Amino acid sequence: MIAAQGETKVVGGVVLRRDPAREPCFTVVQTDAEMQDWPDMSPISRRERLHRHMNNESGAMEIAARCLVDFPDTPWDLRMALARQVSDESRHANLLLQRLRELDGFKGEFPIANFEWGVTLMLEDLPGRLAVQNRTFEAGLIDILGTLRNRWREAGDDVTADMLEGILADEITHVRFANRWIKRLTEQDPRVLLKVAMAVRFLGRVNQQLAPKPGDVNAVGVEWTEERRQAPAVNVEDRREAEFTEEEITEVLKQAGFRSILPAGSLGE
Amino acid sequence: MGLTIRQKADRIGTFRFISVYLMETLARWVPTTPELEAKVLFGRHVWDFAQHADQLGRRTGELRAAAQYSLRPAAGYFKVLEAVASAPGTLERVAGFYDGFLPDLERRYRGYLAETDQLNDEPSVRIIERILFDLPRLKGDRIAFAAQRADLKPLDAGWATRIAALAAAEREFVTDRSPARTSAAV
Repeated sequence: MIAAQGETKVVGGVVLRRDPAREPCFTVVQTDAEMQDWPDMSPISRRERLHRHMNNESGAMEIAARCLVDFPDTPWDLRMALARQVSDESRHANLLLQRLRELDGFKGEFPIANFEWGVTLMLEDLPGRLAVQNRTFEAGLIDILGTLRNRWREAGDDVTADMLEGILADEITHVRFANRWIKRLTEQDPRVLLKVAMAVRFLGRVNQQLAPKPGDVNAVGVEWTEERRQAPAVNVEDRREAEFTEEEITEVLKQAGFRSILPAGSLGE
Repeated sequence: MGLTIRQKADRIGTFRFISVYLMETLARWVPTTPELEAKVLFGRHVWDFAQHADQLGRRTGELRAAAQYSLRPAAGYFKVLEAVASAPGTLERVAGFYDGFLPDLERRYRGYLAETDQLNDEPSVRIIERILFDLPRLKGDRIAFAAQRADLKPLDAGWATRIAALAAAEREFVTDRSPARTSAAV
């Protein structure tokens, strides 16, 4: 691991990278239990969703930026893709901040956590970081956004729904370039696959240790039911567009209890 | 008379080195700067400097150097880059970069346009014209940032002026290439 002493923190017995810089207005927390989120689409829940998403986009921007800094010998075309990702995530964070303000929210209104940064920045190689950040966290965002855009639209907020559609389109490109580059790097050096596997295993261990358990409650007393702990419905169409293989999509579907955004039975038709 | 092929490649390769260095400097600042508006400013411009580096690097491949060839600038000028990157606070980062350093870089691009043969070296000219088209937009974003975060106070109000003076003092920024040609993998 490249994180030097003093650059790490311990959360629930797991060593993670210390948080990136945040303004004093933010309350930075370390676990889901300390977050404030609501399952409904009430005004406060909407603002919290935008606030959390804004910080997550900021984190994604920071991770891609650190990849540019930490791996200067990376092939130039991959550096270009990372630079583009930094810019995209920056735009997303800005869009979400603007929308948050339009809904009378403000920076620091809710606690934030930098889980993705904490995990990804513990990995010492770029394929591992791409596997965790782009192929796992961002691919997860593809699933979440696939459902969320519809929820916002059903709640009568087409402005936010349209914004999320635009963000989703960008995220697909970030996952796709990671899929392409991991494949290419693996073809050049099969040991890359081992790095990817180790990174994914590390993430699995962290998740096992820190994920909320059934019956846990968050900072506003909302319980982590089995339903809330479930993986989101799989956005099959957009995962295909991001160039996941059918086998990989099937594996994710299994983990999500075969819940997908597409009608049941349409996979592979 | 204009520049020789080698002089063109070295100047364009040096501009590429500078663009990559600026991209990396902004990228380094993104997670280490607390203010979200500053992160957004730096993050958006990472892609601008990456594109500049890419276009310049494609041109070096047409000038009998390697594609994406980078040439480290003269030692004195490199120290200016390091000084820009060492800014102590958010406002010094912003002011040193956008107000202190970029105007000097713009002058150097314009100097290249004045020096080279506009017809013979037209592909380089077009690339630099596009870069010069981008720079005012970056400056505009910097001004918008200042309006968004008028609450921030500088740690060192003279920082940008000193960066500008350091840059202006370095007349030569391109080094003579050693006889053995190299392709920097940046």
